Amino acid sequence: MKKIKKFTFRMRKKLMVLFILVLAAFVMLSYKLYTITRDNGDSYKRQVLSQQSKGSTVLPYRRGDIVDRKGSRLAYSEKVYNLVIDAKAMHEDDDKHLEPMLSLLESEFPDLDMSEVRAYVKDKPNSRYKIFLKKIAADKKEEFEALKKAGVSSNDADGKKVTIALDGVWFEEDYIRKYPYNTLACDLVGFVQGDNTGFFGLEEYYNSTLNGTNGRSYGYMNDDGIMESTIQEAEDGNTLVTTVDTNIQSIVEKHIKLYYEKYWNNFRDGAAAENIGVIVMNPNNGEIYAMAGYPVFDLNDPTNMDGVDLTPFMTSTSSNAVSSNAIETQTSVSEDSLSVDAAPEMDEETKAMNKIWRNTCISDSYEPGSVMKPFTTAGALDAGKITGNETYNCGGFLEVGGHKIHCHNRLGDGLLTVQQGMAKSCNVVLMNIAFTMGKDEWLRYNRIFNFGLKTNIDLAGEANASELTFGENMGQTDLAVASFGQGFNVTMIQMAAGFSALINGGYYYQPHVVSKIENSKGAVLEEKTPKVVKQVISESTSQKMREMLRTVVMSDPKECTGWSARPAGYTEGGKTGTAEKYPRGNGKYLISFMGFVPAENPQVLCYVIIDTPNAPNQSESTRMATVLNKDIMTEVLPYLNIFPTEEMTEAEIAELQEKQGEFFIGSDGVSQNSVSDDVVEEGQETVHEDDGTIYIPDPAESVSYDSAGNVISQNAIQYDEATGYPLDPATGEVLDPVTLEPIDGNVSFISD
Amino acid sequence: MVYSASSYEASTKFNDSAHYIKSQAKATFLGLIVMGFVSKLDYHFWKKVYLPIYLGSIFLIFLVKSPIGMTINGANRWIRIGGMSFQPAEAAKLGIIIFLAVLICNKRKSLNSLGGFINCLIWALVPTGLIYVVTKNLSSAIIICGIAVVMLFVASPRYWYYILGAVMVGGAVAGVIYLVSSGILPESMSFRLGRVKAWLNPEAYATSKGFQTLQALYSIGSGGYFGKGLGQSTQKMGYVPEAQNDMIFSIICEELGLFGAVAVILMFLILIYRFLVIANNAPDLFGALLVVGVMGHISLQVILNIAVVTNTLPNTGVTLPFISYGGTSVLFLMMEIGIALNVSKAHSAE
Repeated sequence: MKKIKKFTFRMRKKLMVLFILVLAAFVMLSYKLYTITRDNGDSYKRQVLSQQSKGSTVLPYRRGDIVDRKGSRLAYSEKVYNLVIDAKAMHEDDDKHLEPMLSLLESEFPDLDMSEVRAYVKDKPNSRYKIFLKKIAADKKEEFEALKKAGVSSNDADGKKVTIALDGVWFEEDYIRKYPYNTLACDLVGFVQGDNTGFFGLEEYYNSTLNGTNGRSYGYMNDDGIMESTIQEAEDGNTLVTTVDTNIQSIVEKHIKLYYEKYWNNFRDGAAAENIGVIVMNPNNGEIYAMAGYPVFDLNDPTNMDGVDLTPFMTSTSSNAVSSNAIETQTSVSEDSLSVDAAPEMDEETKAMNKIWRNTCISDSYEPGSVMKPFTTAGALDAGKITGNETYNCGGFLEVGGHKIHCHNRLGDGLLTVQQGMAKSCNVVLMNIAFTMGKDEWLRYNRIFNFGLKTNIDLAGEANASELTFGENMGQTDLAVASFGQGFNVTMIQMAAGFSALINGGYYYQPHVVSKIENSKGAVLEEKTPKVVKQVISESTSQKMREMLRTVVMSDPKECTGWSARPAGYTEGGKTGTAEKYPRGNGKYLISFMGFVPAENPQVLCYVIIDTPNAPNQSESTRMATVLNKDIMTEVLPYLNIFPTEEMTEAEIAELQEKQGEFFIGSDGVSQNSVSDDVVEEGQETVHEDDGTIYIPDPAESVSYDSAGNVISQNAIQYDEATGYPLDPATGEVLDPVTLEPIDGNVSFISD
Repeated sequence: MVYSASSYEASTKFNDSAHYIKSQAKATFLGLIVMGFVSKLDYHFWKKVYLPIYLGSIFLIFLVKSPIGMTINGANRWIRIGGMSFQPAEAAKLGIIIFLAVLICNKRKSLNSLGGFINCLIWALVPTGLIYVVTKNLSSAIIICGIAVVMLFVASPRYWYYILGAVMVGGAVAGVIYLVSSGILPESMSFRLGRVKAWLNPEAYATSKGFQTLQALYSIGSGGYFGKGLGQSTQKMGYVPEAQNDMIFSIICEELGLFGAVAVILMFLILIYRFLVIANNAPDLFGALLVVGVMGHISLQVILNIAVVTNTLPNTGVTLPFISYGGTSVLFLMMEIGIALNVSKAHSAE
């Protein structure tokens, strides 16, 4: 037997060394595993989870609509698509479909930067996702997908026709915000920027309500190891049903625009006023019908200020005019304290745009002037300090604390009752009333009417006026000027809400814009019923105030200040205001008028302020505000089914007929408010189908409405020879020139 | 494990989640038959055929370049025989074990001298170099070289060759690492060394060369101490490349946790310990050396694989014996086990 070579002891020893080395390596690796788990376990776990979510896709929610009280959409979100390029898929099949795909993209999407696309596809052949175009309309996307699906036919090497399937381009859902009325109610609605973030107005205030929750599509492995996807649908945002009426809003905006056109370069060069603000609301429940300022901007493109002269807004001195009317003791209200978005480092243009975007009616404060007088009087009456039967002697001024505080009529009006004092807007009477009340009572009523507090209207950017009213340290002179609305600041919405309480029986309603919130399916989630915050004065005081305020408008023109505010055929109550701006004596005034119709049973309240009207003698120009109020009321009242109760004089009828044209023919600017052609909605019977305009049709054509509410050509209207009233072309009935309803009329025009 | 790790990719690629496991099962079944056969075959048989085996395995390597060669994933490492693909490198590993065992037995005395040692080593370096040059398979080359070194280490009476060699290799590696990390090397040279860079700082190369490593680390970390449960890995869904293959250990860590991973390591340790016992009790040097070769092969692969997965070593494509997917690998590993079993049997028969 041949000698067997043995595995020697020395070898065994070495083998043991080897085993120990292996063992050591194993122990070391186990320890390494342990340290990885110990030190990085949590962060790696998160990393893994975040990778998983990368694999899933986001399904965007649809932001809720904003609709007016009739259901017309003021804002809605439209589904669009982002074009995504998958470079890896483009290169598949040995680049066979790369060039056809790129040339199809080039021909179908002219906006696409093809050099960028080519660079991306070339440089990052393994990348699978990059967005190249955003906001592609659905029909464009479908057209492209059809072409893509059809593929491209070409000749292969043998000259045979083959179809090349295309790949590498897909679309991702997204939404864009659209405002079909463009500029209408721009300050009130607000706009959306970036990733569904609202700015200003309703869009900002109700941002979270309007926004929904993104959905997701997840991939997961089922028990059979097959990839399945599960979809968690996006939860769409809620719809805001507002109290705003698109028609009233367009009426208001049209008249503001007409005002600006009429008084352009009237006395001094430039705009008709430094600022203007109008609120139309229901005094009986706090619902806002319309809220407007000037200038307007296109909500669809808020940074596009074409057609808006920014220069008046550029320098802080002029634009600040309204808000700088601060209390004398406080020198001036800084812009920052009022501005809702005072970013310190904004450039001039952005600052100017912010001023245009903000809502004058809630964000700017000013001295109210004589519109304050009813508040002072109501407080004194309600507290029993005066009975209303007192008479005061007006000598044209009252000397208070060494100052002669003058009346509007420097000669004095002699003996005046409280009512006459109101009608003539006599400062002396009011100062006396305030002195009778005393500082504490006056301040108490000031607080009761919510001055110095926010009204908490549901709009973003309401100014905090708490620093702008008088406090306990108010002096006698302060009380004297405060009685007629000088020396402290208010906001328009405070005034309108307080005045509503003054005339509606004393109930202070919180002013509001949204009446209910619906989910995306239309189910009502929240009904915002009118909320009585408090009773500010008694029913009887309110009754007295209505009577008193009626005389401001309804008295003989010689005996009252507000007669020019009255729409023909109606009774109106109200109060004029002419506030001297700060610094005193510079001849700058803020004129205003607060009116309500009918005077006995107020249904609609309209508050107009005009800051620094372009007129030779601003203190005498209050008529500009009253006439603006009248023009707005004349159109709004018939629309709201409030019928005229008074006989009209021949002159009034003639004026109405003359104005008919002005009312129903919009100027160019106003017709921008027309609904874009593509968004005319069904069931919106007041919208004319050709151009979708309400009251404000194509400026080239004169248009009016027949009894059925259809638009008819002005040229076709025949007039009744006896009365001069228009005839309904359909029925031949005599129509009321204001309401355009048959005179005997119980035919519904526009029912609410 | 292969089933769990591969089912996602299998279902996406082949629309059959069991695609890999079926193919693996076939190979394993074949492997079991071969193992059974080999374990009955007296291991001295290998002594007679060592030269044909050595030459044959070299020949197979060249076949990769022939028409029956196959390219998978851009790597030209397979040949197709009949309906089956076959990786010559795996055959070469077994080949080198048998060949060296015979060689060492024949030239035992000369191993004491440096010349004899180098003479043996050169025989091993031929297939090593071929595998690296012909199939561009660095990891297999390293393992073949490693097997040779292990067998020679055990057989030769000297230590200092190895200590010197280890110091030299270690120094060279440290030098390369220093050069790479300090950025002295020009970009053109650093292509091969990109893996080294990625190894040093996987986060910085998270989307390119470090991706696989980093994802493996994520898997290990996210498994925690007891894992997510068998089949619950999320990383295998396309995040860890080669989840059923080189990176299977990371999926084991994710699904079974540190506990499961250490259990797997312990099983390998037991296996290797058994090889140690068999080698020590082998009736002759040849049998012992065969077992040492097998032991070296399996230890090296296990260590390298786990080291790569844990980013202890730069990324090379080494599979985890018996666990990773790979038909040829399983077949030849089974054959090696069969040889070891036969050696063990020879001892107990004595």
